[in-house]
Amino acid sequence: MAFNEPVLTKRIPTPPFGSFADRKLNTYEDFVRTGGYESLKKAVAMEPSDIVEVVKASELRGRGGAGFPAGMKWSFLPPQDGEPRYLAVNSDESEPGTFKDRMLLDFDPHLLLEGIAICMKACQLDTTYIYIRGEYHAQTKILENAINEAYANGIFGDQSIMGKVNDRFPNCYVHRGAGAYICGEETALLNSLEGKRGWPRIKPPFPAVAGAFGRPTIINNVESLAMVGPILLNGPQWFKSMGVGRPEGAPPQVPASYGPKLFGISGHINRPGVYEENLGITVKDLIETYGGGMRHGKKFKAAIPGGIAMGVLGTDQYDAPLDFDIGKKFACLGLGTAGVIVMDEDTDMVAALRNIVRFFSHESCGQCTPCREGGNWMYKTLCRIEQGDGTTKDLDLLLEIAASMGAMPGTTICGLADGANWAVRTFINKFWDEFESRVKPSVERVIPLAVVQ
Amino acid sequence: MAWLTKNSGTMQIERREEPYLDDALKAKLEAEVIIRYPDRRAAMLPTLHAVQHQVGWLPLQALAEIGAFLGVAPSEVMDTASFYEEYWLEPKGKYVIWLCQSITCELLNRESLMQKLQAKLSIKPGQTTEDGKFTLMNVECLGSCGTAPCALVNETLHEDLTAENLDQILDALE
Ligand SMILES: Cc1cc2nc3c(=O)[nH]c(=O)nc-3n(C[C@H](O)[C@H](O)[C@H](O)COP(=O)(O)O)c2cc1C
Ligand code: SF4
Ligand code: FES
Repeated sequence: MAFNEPVLTKRIPTPPFGSFADRKLNTYEDFVRTGGYESLKKAVAMEPSDIVEVVKASELRGRGGAGFPAGMKWSFLPPQDGEPRYLAVNSDESEPGTFKDRMLLDFDPHLLLEGIAICMKACQLDTTYIYIRGEYHAQTKILENAINEAYANGIFGDQSIMGKVNDRFPNCYVHRGAGAYICGEETALLNSLEGKRGWPRIKPPFPAVAGAFGRPTIINNVESLAMVGPILLNGPQWFKSMGVGRPEGAPPQVPASYGPKLFGISGHINRPGVYEENLGITVKDLIETYGGGMRHGKKFKAAIPGGIAMGVLGTDQYDAPLDFDIGKKFACLGLGTAGVIVMDEDTDMVAALRNIVRFFSHESCGQCTPCREGGNWMYKTLCRIEQGDGTTKDLDLLLEIAASMGAMPGTTICGLADGANWAVRTFINKFWDEFESRVKPSVERVIPLAVVQ
Repeated sequence: MAWLTKNSGTMQIERREEPYLDDALKAKLEAEVIIRYPDRRAAMLPTLHAVQHQVGWLPLQALAEIGAFLGVAPSEVMDTASFYEEYWLEPKGKYVIWLCQSITCELLNRESLMQKLQAKLSIKPGQTTEDGKFTLMNVECLGSCGTAPCALVNETLHEDLTAENLDQILDALE
């Protein structure tokens, strides 16, 4: 089905339905006037477990990068035991190329707050912390104002229309980070929330069992939660009429890519920005229909599907559909945040990769040796290649270091190292000729044997 | 780089009589921040932000005071504060210019802006001008890639930067 009715961008004018220039903040009144908080009213009248079932049936997958089914995550919570239970909202959004959650915060913060309230009711969580990155100064203020409006209008607090949740009046607070990409990793986020260094934790235990302050905690991305209100209001079938189903012949436990999604496009295109479309739109359509085509009439060379951790799509992968299956089909890590970075024919791929690896090396938290040392080693090697001092052996070395680091080879605690790993391997493999042309052939040196006495 | 070795406990702490975390700020934090969390330590990041906002940076004495206020050792406050790039453990200029250096900004020519800033201010990234007005920093993605290149000047984001509007922005600062 074609995407013909904005969902997350209902109140945020976005081409082709509206113009960026008309975007403005929706206050509580604006939100309610356009149908806001109707979904929460519906949730209040429902049994918590029935709400979870609706989200499960919709097969909504997390929008924060990993694509984990949200309803399933919610059902991992242990039964209530009288003690507090938390919701931590991941608004750390620091992955280069990603700026979609910011758009929701800038213009429609109540859509997020409604999703939060529904999630609290469904999972019986009494307190929410919205972990927002420190650099989002303006968004922090918008969010704090919106939360005040929500308290004043009986969404949270002792006047909440939800009454008591988990035997307590529901509360919602903003918690500001302080400039550390790694705090977007869910367990690093929890440590940072507890007032510690943002060091990812070893799992298990999973946060749903022992998260913030050792208590059951649900962690979801801003866009995932913003989607919950519309799903509850319109039903799972409506949601599943958009996007793409599971691959042909796949058993039902294989997750599909249903629903609309925010796509941020940036780089060498005419009209960068955040757009909403069905999952499954191709890179080509996204660039040509939404992004206004390539800048200065240049040719497409490469795109990063969603945040630099995902690796790169090659020149011949222009038609790749952007859905959760993209990783398997197009040899990259996955869809990630769907923050698509577009590069034209003049892009220096060695420089682009050097930039990406510098990021991961810089943002490593330092707990795991392969990530801390490997990142820096690869960065130095790439600088050498960029300056013309590399050899073909350096390329082999890069591939070898990359493949050795990450939660998937099993050498690191978290997935940051996998991002560096996939970036390096996909850039070098998909643009081998370019990398090879930048290095000198390695010379086999004969080392004379000397007898040391 | 959160894992680089930072100054350690062997340093001399310069002390002053008057506390950095004064009674007014303590009362405000008690009333508005501490109550949000199940334990006091969780108020660490907001407290560091609040003190830095008031003082401009985080002297060692302030870290020790925060430790006493939250009931954790000063070394643990240092441990946390030194992890995050936004906390200043030494004085900074009146205006901090954080120019994004991540991929989209680099694709859209942030390097020429960095060159220009260095020439204009006669400092390198990480340094502060002699008059204490500007500190120049490289920063990773500011979440503004759709309007790259961009920079944060203190708390204000400037988007779609060009050599010309960058000049105007800096010249307008007192
Ligand atoms: C290094 C790293 C950084 C991450 N950064 C973010 C982030 O900024 N925002 C986010 O929502 N998820 C981020 N994630 C994913 C989270 O760990 C987590 O999967 C997600 O917040 C879950 O929410 P969702 O299921 O709603 O997507 C990051 C993961 C890793 C490994
Ligand atoms: S993989 Fe890197 S960022 Fe993640 S825990 Fe290990 S050192 Fe830290
Ligand atoms: S890359 Fe500069 S704002 Fe994202």
